[in-house]
Amino acid sequence: MGWTASKRSEGKIVFFRLLFESFLRQRRRKMLAGIAILLGTTAVTAMLALATTIGDRIHQELAVYGANIVVFPKADSLDVKVGGVDVKPATGGAYLKESDLEKLHGIFWANNITGVSPELTHTLRIWSNDSNGFVLNVSAKGLWFDHKFGVGTTGSVQLHPWWKMQGEWPKTWKDVVIGANLAARLHLRRGDEFEIAVANTREEVHEAVVSGIATTNGPEDDMLLMPLDQFQIASSLPNEISRVEISARTKPEDAFARQDPDKMSAKLRDVWYCRPYANSIAYQIREAIPGSDAEQVRRVEQSEGTVLERISGLMWLISGAALLAAGFAVSAAMATAVLERRGEIGLMRSLGASKGAIAALFYAESGLLAAATGTVGYLAGSALAWWLGAKIFPGDGKEPMLNLVLLPVIVAMALIVAVAGSTPAIRAALNADPSRTLREDT
Amino acid sequence: MSKFGLGKLLRRSLIHRKARSLSALIAMTVSAGVATALLTLYADLDAKLHHEFRSFGANIVVTGTSDLAAAQKAAGSDANVAQFAYAVATTDRGTSVVVVGVDFPAVRKLDSWWQVAQWPTGADDALLGERAAQFVGDEKDVTLTFAGQPHTFKGVGHVKTGGDEDSRIYTSIDTFQSWTHVAPSVLEIQIPGGAASVEAAISRLKSALPGADVEPVRQLVEGESSIVDKTHTLMFGAVLLIALTVACSVLATLSASVLERRRDFALMKALGSSQGQMMGLFLAETLLLATGGVIGGYCLGSVAAWVISEVNFNTASLPRVGVLPIVLALNIGIAAIAALLPLRVLRGLEPAALLKGE
Repeated sequence: MGWTASKRSEGKIVFFRLLFESFLRQRRRKMLAGIAILLGTTAVTAMLALATTIGDRIHQELAVYGANIVVFPKADSLDVKVGGVDVKPATGGAYLKESDLEKLHGIFWANNITGVSPELTHTLRIWSNDSNGFVLNVSAKGLWFDHKFGVGTTGSVQLHPWWKMQGEWPKTWKDVVIGANLAARLHLRRGDEFEIAVANTREEVHEAVVSGIATTNGPEDDMLLMPLDQFQIASSLPNEISRVEISARTKPEDAFARQDPDKMSAKLRDVWYCRPYANSIAYQIREAIPGSDAEQVRRVEQSEGTVLERISGLMWLISGAALLAAGFAVSAAMATAVLERRGEIGLMRSLGASKGAIAALFYAESGLLAAATGTVGYLAGSALAWWLGAKIFPGDGKEPMLNLVLLPVIVAMALIVAVAGSTPAIRAALNADPSRTLREDT
Repeated sequence: MSKFGLGKLLRRSLIHRKARSLSALIAMTVSAGVATALLTLYADLDAKLHHEFRSFGANIVVTGTSDLAAAQKAAGSDANVAQFAYAVATTDRGTSVVVVGVDFPAVRKLDSWWQVAQWPTGADDALLGERAAQFVGDEKDVTLTFAGQPHTFKGVGHVKTGGDEDSRIYTSIDTFQSWTHVAPSVLEIQIPGGAASVEAAISRLKSALPGADVEPVRQLVEGESSIVDKTHTLMFGAVLLIALTVACSVLATLSASVLERRRDFALMKALGSSQGQMMGLFLAETLLLATGGVIGGYCLGSVAAWVISEVNFNTASLPRVGVLPIVLALNIGIAAIAALLPLRVLRGLEPAALLKGE
């Protein structure tokens, strides 16, 4: 049996004609296998697309817990804080330069820094000149509000999403925000005006208008909050900041991340340096900002790491389950599609086609079907993942709909599963006695 | 056809074409297994996720009371409660430092993110904050003075958190109280569960501790609820999608195997079987396979769920009997549809034409 060498070119043409005819005909039978591949690849694409983006999405959700790295001046005095309130405010003290923050753009993991909030705390004297006037020293904080930093804007409100505002965050240079407790104590309301000067003096007076009342559930509830540059002028500490909170996308910590980089070999240290651990980002910040010390906020960072790991681990495992189910569905459907055509195979064999030629025909057909429906399934799965992601995690519509890396992966998987699924059925059909098959089946 | 006849027919039909019966059985087993595994995981998901959020520490802070027993009773036995007493003391170098009296085992359980090489055990042992340690002369011999009363502690290690704790010195609460006579002023409580259980615990604590100030750590409670809810919805979508895929594959396999038996169908019809009898036979056959698949699939799926939780959450998900009826109903539903759909197609065909092979 088989084709002779002289007929090979003719055989090729016949092969492609057969393939073409057989692919276009018997659409009902192929539909089941096609639907199985389509659904399978849709499920797998959607799960993989979700699993690859889930880390960023959960990180955004976890941003409500605030900064995961803090930067402060290298210690020359000790904070004496209880419940976030300075019991003994340090006099003098060390500061960082606000202008040095621009250097954050130069560090290796600059793009992973999603938010920066510098602050300066100091005591100011405030008083009002109207009937229920008051004169007192209050603790005040200068902060960034929608401050331009790099390409976007960032600031304290972004890093403290749980702060509640009645009114508006400062917009003009006169605007200040009053903490809820302080506002209640002084009977201040939105729009009220008062004067500000350095603690215990009435020199270099500045005017202020209450633009809003903030509830923070923290020490800021007893404070005066104002734009950093205004505050630096009012407290005559130009360009100084006492602390910076940074929110960065990080990789959950593992044993390697905890090692001391200064004790590593140069090669290992490079690897450590080029991984987005909170520790290595903090290390790079220490290098970039003179006189600074940066630490991960362990309560946020460590716990975020576990939660992130668990949820993305779950998604990967579920993707694995989807892959298994899809693989099974596709191979079962392919097997039935081939089994149904035993009669055809018997006919072809009795007409003199070689086993190899028949197998090639069927494999080519399965492969074509898998590639075509796999691509459609990829598109459907991507759209589904995008829709599901936008529905469940609203507000981050920046995700692109198609992840092109997944396309070859999905099509290759569809091909492998389809070919593997049809193999036992093709083999069984080829090994069966043609005359018996023909008699038995229609 | 007698009842015995049907049973015999069923048995013969299942055994005669082993390969076909086996592939249908495997299809049913896999679908039941996947459904069981996903439903078991899904049922356990919230509890497991809430458990992970325990690592964020206290979600309620109570100030203005020192009644630990009443707080623990109101919060429930599975809540972690730790008390804190604060005083500002002076080190031997004359620096002011916040000294905190705590019950170390309770803090260790509550604040799992503290980086501590060695926890104190002795009465005079102290834990020095990473920054605070730079302001004492000899870490093994730390003399602190509060209101003119000196006391010497032995620093056994450092604590590093990246927060206020780094600038403090932690001591055992009993030693702290006999030295300073300052009562604990803050209770930190970690309630397991979401926003609802925290709210319930807050109202219980408020009535149990009149005069105390009970506040939730709002960002933790809100963040936890939002993330658990979103993961839950995501899982729901995934379960639905996978269930659909599996159902489709089972439908394809079973209905193909029924379609394949056109000739049997035609022969039986030609020999005088009624429509109902044949329907009954097909249905009984597929339902038998479906039940077999559910039994095998339930066992496999429970094992899969157990392995997945063990791998991902380090705690096992025990098999749930409550999942079984759902899986059974699901599988039997799919099997019935798979058996009856092709029958509708076959009903219109003439036996003679089918047998002739047209």
